[in-house]
Amino acid sequence: MPMTPARAGRHALPPFWLPVLAGLPLGVCLLVMAMPILGHGNATLARTLYLSAFVLWVLPLTALQRWLWRRGMAVWRIALVLLLTTYAMALATRLLSVALQAAASGSLARLFAPGTLDVGLLFRGLEGAWLVLVAYCAVHAVVTYYAELRHEQARHLEARALARDAELRALRYQLQPHFLFNTLNAVSALVAEERGPEARQMLARLGDFLRAVLDARAGHEVTLAEEIAMTEAYLEVEKARLGRRLLLSWHVGDGVLGAHVPGLLLQPLVENAIRHGIAPRSAPGRLDIRIARDGTQLDIRIDNDLPAPGEAPPQSEDARTAVGLDNVRGRLARLYPDRAGLQAGIDAGRYRVRLTLPLRTAPEPAT
Amino acid sequence: MIRVCVVDDEPLARRGVLSLLAAFDDLQVVGEYEDGTTALAGLQAQPPDLVFMDVQMPGMTGLDVLAALSPQQRPLAILLTAHDSFAVRAFALNAVDYLLKPVDDARFAEALARARQLLRLRDLDTARTPPTATPARHLEKFSVRIGHRTLFIRAASVAWIGADGDYAVLHVGERTYIVRESLHQLAAQLDPARFVRVHRSSIVRLDQVAELQPLTNRDAVLRLHDGTPVRVSRTYIDALLSALHAGG
Repeated sequence: MPMTPARAGRHALPPFWLPVLAGLPLGVCLLVMAMPILGHGNATLARTLYLSAFVLWVLPLTALQRWLWRRGMAVWRIALVLLLTTYAMALATRLLSVALQAAASGSLARLFAPGTLDVGLLFRGLEGAWLVLVAYCAVHAVVTYYAELRHEQARHLEARALARDAELRALRYQLQPHFLFNTLNAVSALVAEERGPEARQMLARLGDFLRAVLDARAGHEVTLAEEIAMTEAYLEVEKARLGRRLLLSWHVGDGVLGAHVPGLLLQPLVENAIRHGIAPRSAPGRLDIRIARDGTQLDIRIDNDLPAPGEAPPQSEDARTAVGLDNVRGRLARLYPDRAGLQAGIDAGRYRVRLTLPLRTAPEPAT
Repeated sequence: MIRVCVVDDEPLARRGVLSLLAAFDDLQVVGEYEDGTTALAGLQAQPPDLVFMDVQMPGMTGLDVLAALSPQQRPLAILLTAHDSFAVRAFALNAVDYLLKPVDDARFAEALARARQLLRLRDLDTARTPPTATPARHLEKFSVRIGHRTLFIRAASVAWIGADGDYAVLHVGERTYIVRESLHQLAAQLDPARFVRVHRSSIVRLDQVAELQPLTNRDAVLRLHDGTPVRVSRTYIDALLSALHAGG
């Protein structure tokens, strides 16, 4: 009986065969208990009957218990119903057993003669059959409870993963718009000045960048090569805007291109460097990006020249830099708790960002 | 004269292609279609040499149109698309190249050059035009003007060449020099056994390649010995790989 997702919403029932399987040892117990008396008169017949009856009763009993559980009935009510039902089943078994024994000794007709039914005999020996059925119900309850617990845990984990997903996505989309609008504004300016070819070139670069961002949407982690390609697509737009005012140098060390990094990790930092470092300058400014392996860590450094004191951007711009850095810091903390770091500050006249994160070349299983 | 058709469901997109085509005087636009069905009928009635075909159109897509034509009727095609995910099928359908929207002018000229070359080869088969003379020697040095001086840079010292607008930027060690020629022009003059075009905006010297990392979108990133990462677009990747293997 496969579990359908809709039904699993409130109560996750284990597969039908599972409690039946778990109850089988009880049947074995019945056999073991019968060992010493086997071969004594009618005992063999009686025990065989008990065992077959147990196996037969288990199926409707399982169905009943599942039905009660699924209806969400209170536990004490389920217990009461099951005690009564199992008692009735045991009684029926006992009745059948007594009848069979009587038939074996040729006194079946006498048994049903008025006044001869030994009620005491009927109820004696009943508890054996009953207790086994009750024990079975207990096993079933434990199995069901465990399945529900597992289901609950899985749901909890899934919810956490989803929350993380949503959070990361939100953080990422927060990065996009201002760059997009700035670029559109630049294109608009080019069109107004009738610099058609340059406007077209910029639009083509912007198209490339947006495609790169959309391609990266599949997972939170991409290879460093993907992130470099995306950052380059972004830089091409900036190069079109800034021309020779941007002096760019990359240095990528050996064996890190395949390392896994969070998508859109580098790009916002490089964007910061350009917006707040290079773009406000009137003289050409250098942007150096160095990525290397440092033992088990990936070491990323982004250094840029700063605007001269008179060219410094207004205060509100600094606040926005902080937002960008906090964003990256937040994502690193979520993805690699205690194993990643981000430092940023002015040193020897340049703005320096240093980023370290675990160097991994295979995707980590989601935790 | 190369006979060209343009198929796109958006009038502005068609006009964009037509305006780019207007710059070439060996091209003649013989048809313009706004959906797959009329394009199919038109291409069958009046087969052109080359078609600019939009892929995503309502109803019949550009690829459907090409597939519906018989191999004899099927013209060379340059596909236009916003976001591609069909390249394998496209190249079985006589597609010479594909252009991503918004269309980049340099890429447009290059796709056209590819088509021209293929059409010329086809003409050679029928022996209508004499073989074009191939340059006997490859470019060995670049001349770079700085103010009134002219510097000569040996090709062998250039690690890679980037693009800066319509100019090329030579990367020699830590220094860069600007050459007043487009990357496309340079690519044709350099020795193909040593220099390979890998992207719209870069040519690399093969012996400078230290590492190649493929990307999920079928592009790749190269790392040169000096640590520079260079993007490789999927259009050039096969040529790069065969050049790298031939050199090794």
